[in-house]
Amino acid sequence: MSNTPILLRDVALDYPRVKKGAGFIREIVTRRFKKKPHEDKWFRALDKINLEVKKGEVIGIIGPNGSGKSTLLRVIAGIYAPDEGRVEVQGRITLLAGVGTGFNQNLTGRENISLTASIYGFDRKAIREIEEEIIEFSGIRSFIDDPMRTYSAGMRARLGFAIISNLDPDVLLMDEVMSVGDHEFRKKSRARIEELVKSDATVVIVSHSKAILKSLCDKVYFIRQGQIMNDGDFETAFELYETVAA
Amino acid sequence: MGDASENSVLRIDHRLPFLSAPFSIGKNLYQYRQLLSHFVSRDMKVKYHNSILGYAWSVLEPLALTVTFYILFAILSDSEDPFRPLTILLGILAWSLFGRTLSGGTSCIQRNSSLIQKVYFPREIFLFSKSGFNILQFLLSLLVIIPLLIHYDLTPTKQILFLPLALIMITMLSTGLAFFTSILQTKARDVEHMVTIGLRISFYLSPVFYPLEMITKGRIPEQYIETYLIINPMATYITMIRSAFTGDALNIPIHNLVITFVSTIVIFWIGAIYFIRKERKAVKFI
Repeated sequence: MSNTPILLRDVALDYPRVKKGAGFIREIVTRRFKKKPHEDKWFRALDKINLEVKKGEVIGIIGPNGSGKSTLLRVIAGIYAPDEGRVEVQGRITLLAGVGTGFNQNLTGRENISLTASIYGFDRKAIREIEEEIIEFSGIRSFIDDPMRTYSAGMRARLGFAIISNLDPDVLLMDEVMSVGDHEFRKKSRARIEELVKSDATVVIVSHSKAILKSLCDKVYFIRQGQIMNDGDFETAFELYETVAA
Repeated sequence: MGDASENSVLRIDHRLPFLSAPFSIGKNLYQYRQLLSHFVSRDMKVKYHNSILGYAWSVLEPLALTVTFYILFAILSDSEDPFRPLTILLGILAWSLFGRTLSGGTSCIQRNSSLIQKVYFPREIFLFSKSGFNILQFLLSLLVIIPLLIHYDLTPTKQILFLPLALIMITMLSTGLAFFTSILQTKARDVEHMVTIGLRISFYLSPVFYPLEMITKGRIPEQYIETYLIINPMATYITMIRSAFTGDALNIPIHNLVITFVSTIVIFWIGAIYFIRKERKAVKFI
């Protein structure tokens, strides 16, 4: 494995402006008469992004709402394919962005563990190996064989976090998820995140919190209108963020 | 699973397969076969979840329809079909396989949006897990015909080979159409409703609860029969499944069979190309 698990070269991504609905039908009808220019239908969510993250490195991304932070994470995770440029990511990727989706409410907690793990590419044997750890960490062992719909929101969040954080990723992408659940689980999950960040995984964290980024990251990038505006230096990033936000 | 291994690399650029699209889909399905089986077993569990009769519903539903159409037919028609309950039941099972794969496939990308926005794996897995689930359902429901076969004293001949062939073709046809509808559905939810209506109409226009002979034997002018068989591949496949069990000769000219098979394969192939090339853009709309 090379030393650069995340490599983005001149990546650009367009995002649709008109999502769907009546406009779509109108568009079909009127297309013959007037072709809409490309810019009216798409906006450039990411523009010429160049990013290299070395193995074990932790980088932070900061920027105003709608600047393309989450989109960037999705591109790294392979969810969105770039419209221009090249993306190369090595190893198992985990995106931590809100927890517990992909859960089926009618399956039990245990069945959801194995379903989620298989979505992330674990085979049956590997699932059995991590299952116990996940149940232990979630702290909801007595409910684990009950259907998910009987769980409280907090319990779902706990299980979601327990699964995602036990998938042992090579590349960990975090979108503003720092802690979930009650006071006790919050402490536990925060400690777990710090543990993951300090492991040899390569990490990208999106956050608005200066304190979190400062304590965890080796580099911080400021992103605005889909462009990276600095070279990774903390002070420049925060300075830019604060002047734009103000 | 290959992609989970430590050396896996996710490499994304512009190049997309064109004519080789079905093969790259096949490769992905093989690589993600465990996930595929997980999705199928999830659907099975969810289907029978909290129901007292469980599996029995796979059988009771087509049986109820069969009884309904049997009665309806006894009232409306005077045709002599020696195996009428079997004809109707097999028609309904084959049609359910087609219709459910298509309608399930149509909505599967949009329905799984929260998952698609969290983790990448080839999106065709969603489509094929629906196909797999419906084939399994078909085979489970098929057990109900055993008493009928005993009753009519039918023993399988070599024509039973029509069954796997027809199953493959029905799955290719419905998945091939779902390649298109699942992508279009992300842009306009209308597609789902169009598919529902289309399926309802073609249910009556296909020999589901009546034998193909009712169409080919005199009720339709002869020159239209060939056109009918060409635009409705399901007519051929349903009839194939019937003769797989009854051992009756397949009264379809060989060149019509060839046209039907080729058109199904072409639909699947073009659908695969369309899906592979549009899927990336489509996920931005969900």
